[in-house]
Amino acid sequence: MLSQISSFLNSGANIIWFMIVLPAVFGVAARFSGKRYAARLMISVLSAAVNLLFALSLYLSESFYVVIPFASHGLDIALNVNEYSAMFLAFAAAGFLVVSLYSVEFLKGESCAGLFMLYLNISIAMINGALLSDNLGIMLFFWEGLLCTLFGMLLINNRQNPKAAVKALVLSGTADLLLMLGIIITVYQAGTPYVSQMQKLPVTGIAGIGFVCMMLGAVGKAGSLPFHTWIPEAAGDAPTPFLAAFPGMLEKFLGIYLAVRIVTDIYDLRPGSGMSIAVMALGTLTIIVGVAMALIQKDMKRLLAYHAISQVGYMVLGIGTALPVGIIGGIFHMLNNTAYKSCLFMTAGSIERQTGTTDLRKIGGLAKHMPVTAACFIVSGLAIAGVPPFSGFFSKELVFDAALESNVVFYAGALLGAFMTAVSFLKMGRAAFAGELKLPENEKYGQEPGIKRAQEPNSRLVRESGFGMLLPMCALAVPSILFGVANTWPLDSLISPALEYTESYSGWPHSAVLVLISLVVLALAVCDHIYGSRKSGSAINAADHIHYAPVLRNIYAAAEKGWFDPYNWTMRIVGAWSALCMFIERGVAWFYDVAAVGAAKGAGNLLHRIDNGSLSLYLAAAVAGVGIIVVIFLAV
Amino acid sequence: MSAMAYIAVSFLVVPLVIIIIINLIQREFAKKVCIYLACASAVIQMASSTAEFFMLSANHLHEYRFTLLWNMKEDAEHFGVTSLSLVVMFCIGFVSFISALIALRTIDKRKIYYVNLLMTLVLGMNGMVIVTDLFSLYVFLEIVGISSFVLIALFRSETGLEGAFKYLVMSALASMLILTGLSFIFMQTGSLLYTKIGPSILIAEDGSKQTLAYVALIFLISGFAVKTGAVPFHSWLPDAHQSADTAVSILLSGIVIKVAGIYSFIVLTDLFKNVPAIDTALAILGIASIITGALLALRQTHFKRIAAYSSVSQMGYILLGLSTGSTLGLVGVIAHVFNHATFKSTLFANAAALHEQTGTLDIDEMGGLQSRMPVTGFSNIAAFLSTAGIPPFAGFWSKLLIIMALWNRGLRVLAGIALFSSILTAAYFLRLQKKVFFGKLPDKYSDLKEIDGTVRFAEIILTVVIIAAGVCFPLALLYLKGRGIL
Repeated sequence: MLSQISSFLNSGANIIWFMIVLPAVFGVAARFSGKRYAARLMISVLSAAVNLLFALSLYLSESFYVVIPFASHGLDIALNVNEYSAMFLAFAAAGFLVVSLYSVEFLKGESCAGLFMLYLNISIAMINGALLSDNLGIMLFFWEGLLCTLFGMLLINNRQNPKAAVKALVLSGTADLLLMLGIIITVYQAGTPYVSQMQKLPVTGIAGIGFVCMMLGAVGKAGSLPFHTWIPEAAGDAPTPFLAAFPGMLEKFLGIYLAVRIVTDIYDLRPGSGMSIAVMALGTLTIIVGVAMALIQKDMKRLLAYHAISQVGYMVLGIGTALPVGIIGGIFHMLNNTAYKSCLFMTAGSIERQTGTTDLRKIGGLAKHMPVTAACFIVSGLAIAGVPPFSGFFSKELVFDAALESNVVFYAGALLGAFMTAVSFLKMGRAAFAGELKLPENEKYGQEPGIKRAQEPNSRLVRESGFGMLLPMCALAVPSILFGVANTWPLDSLISPALEYTESYSGWPHSAVLVLISLVVLALAVCDHIYGSRKSGSAINAADHIHYAPVLRNIYAAAEKGWFDPYNWTMRIVGAWSALCMFIERGVAWFYDVAAVGAAKGAGNLLHRIDNGSLSLYLAAAVAGVGIIVVIFLAV
Repeated sequence: MSAMAYIAVSFLVVPLVIIIIINLIQREFAKKVCIYLACASAVIQMASSTAEFFMLSANHLHEYRFTLLWNMKEDAEHFGVTSLSLVVMFCIGFVSFISALIALRTIDKRKIYYVNLLMTLVLGMNGMVIVTDLFSLYVFLEIVGISSFVLIALFRSETGLEGAFKYLVMSALASMLILTGLSFIFMQTGSLLYTKIGPSILIAEDGSKQTLAYVALIFLISGFAVKTGAVPFHSWLPDAHQSADTAVSILLSGIVIKVAGIYSFIVLTDLFKNVPAIDTALAILGIASIITGALLALRQTHFKRIAAYSSVSQMGYILLGLSTGSTLGLVGVIAHVFNHATFKSTLFANAAALHEQTGTLDIDEMGGLQSRMPVTGFSNIAAFLSTAGIPPFAGFWSKLLIIMALWNRGLRVLAGIALFSSILTAAYFLRLQKKVFFGKLPDKYSDLKEIDGTVRFAEIILTVVIIAAGVCFPLALLYLKGRGIL
């Protein structure tokens, strides 16, 4: 049956209708479902299931290529269904199903639910389009379409204070503009906008600029430095399903898909070259900055947002090595990351629903009352920290392997990141789940606007979340275990064939030294956590000794104030520029309003003194006039 | 005599006849009908000049010479009409017509004096344009001058007498200069006939310059400049315009300064073609007038004074056009003479309306009158846009022709300055419009009524003429092209 579906999609422009337009139609239907939870659930599940079905059929079939002439030459809608793009398509569709289910359940009873589902569905439509596009221009169109849905989702419930939405739009938009510039240069250099027809371009000169721009645009979408500062702010403002879907899952797919494409198909990145080092440096920096900021957060969602940023750094580092092991590691890490990161966000959402807040200072000891949530958290936490035999360990090892082969500095940086990740999760896990039950007291419910509470903070009533939310959570926890224990399937059957690599990277990592070092780092992290929590007295403050260490304290303070935020720099420059323009404008206005008028009036006043009614003056002027004419006659 | 002859003669005869009629019939009745008779004579003049113009072109004549009553000797026809003089006479008739229309409303006493003087004035002006020698030109110029200042002083108001006196003195200076100039030329050539005077008198047999002739030119230019109101000879103009009755101001600004001044310059440049000194002198006078007139108009507060300075400024444009010496410039000059007659008359008609209804002409006291006096307001806007040279109003075309003539002669800087001064023109006019018609209506004018009767009729006619002339001007240009003039 799947092959029938895929051949159906192959005919004509059906692929566009059914992979791109259909989700949008479902989204519109979901919008109008209003308060009817059941209808919305059905529509969303149906949409996601259909999408998944189509994606799977495309993956399991032969590759094919569809061209639909659209605009003038250069902008044909060229869709390339090959193993690589179809694999990502399937990943995205699976993730979309899980997130849809979770979102509908989470936003049950909220007025904004329909709008949210609309944006989510349109987003998947755009993502499908971007993943399928072979023409870089059309891909850009779909890519930028996500800006609208991003902005829309952040505006839900935040109309009066759209700070986070504007920041997201500006940063994401700038990344997209860089991508546009990169695409223009690339297309110009390559002579064709079709990726499948491109020869690998060398990364020098103008093409180098194109490479840099495109990479920045791609990884910026995924959430890497320097376009990352909107994610923590969004963590405060947006509904949690947004966090689970976007920074957790969908943007990563898109960003890493393009990044790998750039490195393998479009540009010829050599391991050890300057560009490669630059990309790796960016990745390492992202890892460290992300997790350093995460360490000091006290709010669960913000903390997880910073971790999401940090994890992207691993992917970028892996891809930047330009070694097959690195690239495979990067993609595998992305796959794992979507699973455990989204799961973590969902646990945060679950806690939020039940207690009304995700502030770690106000809650604690929830393990007894929310066992399933706690279990999912533990599984995902272990995966993200890189503990064997969970999936995160294996993907991290691949990335470490590649990093070590390139340069030991980057390896050290990645290890530092792993250390801090582990510390951070130990702190968060113990603070939220272990110990005595602690609930926010006398708190006004509805910290996030629009989220209403039906329950009082009473230990009798804090219970596990509903089935609808638990199901997606558990479904996402499963890959963390599965891809770790049985990593042959994803690595050798999925990813490697898609990239046409033949070496097998599955199974236990080859280098025992690497494994040993990683385990040592993990142990160090545990020790540090115990030391920290003993020193400060509670789990929540277990990282304070790092936070308030001599030099780090100042850096952290500056970061909290926003000194390192490129968005703030940009806004300051924009402000200065507009002040300059205003200054010039005032100058011009002064000239027209004050100077010119004053000159005319002054001249008039001057002449008036001569014309004052005295007849003798008139006669004198007349005689003087005769004299002037004499002079003229003499001169000519 | 042929029809052309009759019409040509009628230009001088009709005013005389009107004067005789009015003074012979019974006084009371005369008072009632005199101004209507004046209107009639003006209309007759307009019609006859148009007819003569087309007859002249039909007969392919450049000029039609005729005598009035008798011949002194053979071939001594002293009068001649050319197409150009016929156009000027049409303007004379038109402005007199408007003046009479306004007078019907504004002049209550001494109507007969007014009509007598008006007819004398018309006689003088007609005479000026149909003579063929300089001395006769001077004689009729004097007639015009004397009629003007009696007209200004007619109502014996204090300002009227002051204005008339200033005009008298300046006019005396002008006459002195002109007469001296004429006598120098006479000394040089022994004749003052147009045909006997030319650039040749400037150069002696041995090729050196004749100082006397040049001095004569200097004096003539100065004298005519006084009559025109060019800077720095203009000072009498505002005082005279302000203090005269509005009907008289129309005449002064609308036609007297043009016929007495500009037409004389036209004659001068026609006689002394391509003398660079004259062209330069005219250009400098022109530029000075444009700018000074506009700058001074910016700070006036009396409606008629603003109009007077505006006249000074517009005379500057005409002088610039004359200084080019080309046919295009001449056509532009004549067009501007006509256009200026229309928009200046409109302005003064509005002044009459405002004075009649509000009792004052101080623009600081007025405001927001557009709502109460819409016809006056709109005609003022039409006049403003025409003066500023904005299409499709008539003023645009004449200004365009003058600037094109300047450009063709290579006087690019002057053309640029002339163009730029349109901003100044717009500035003072806009100020006038804003202060009088836009803005807030003072309470004392809250039940003001629009002017009715002949003044309104005059305003409407003038507005229609301005717009129609603007729209149909290309037709006139095409006609001239067909005649081979352009």
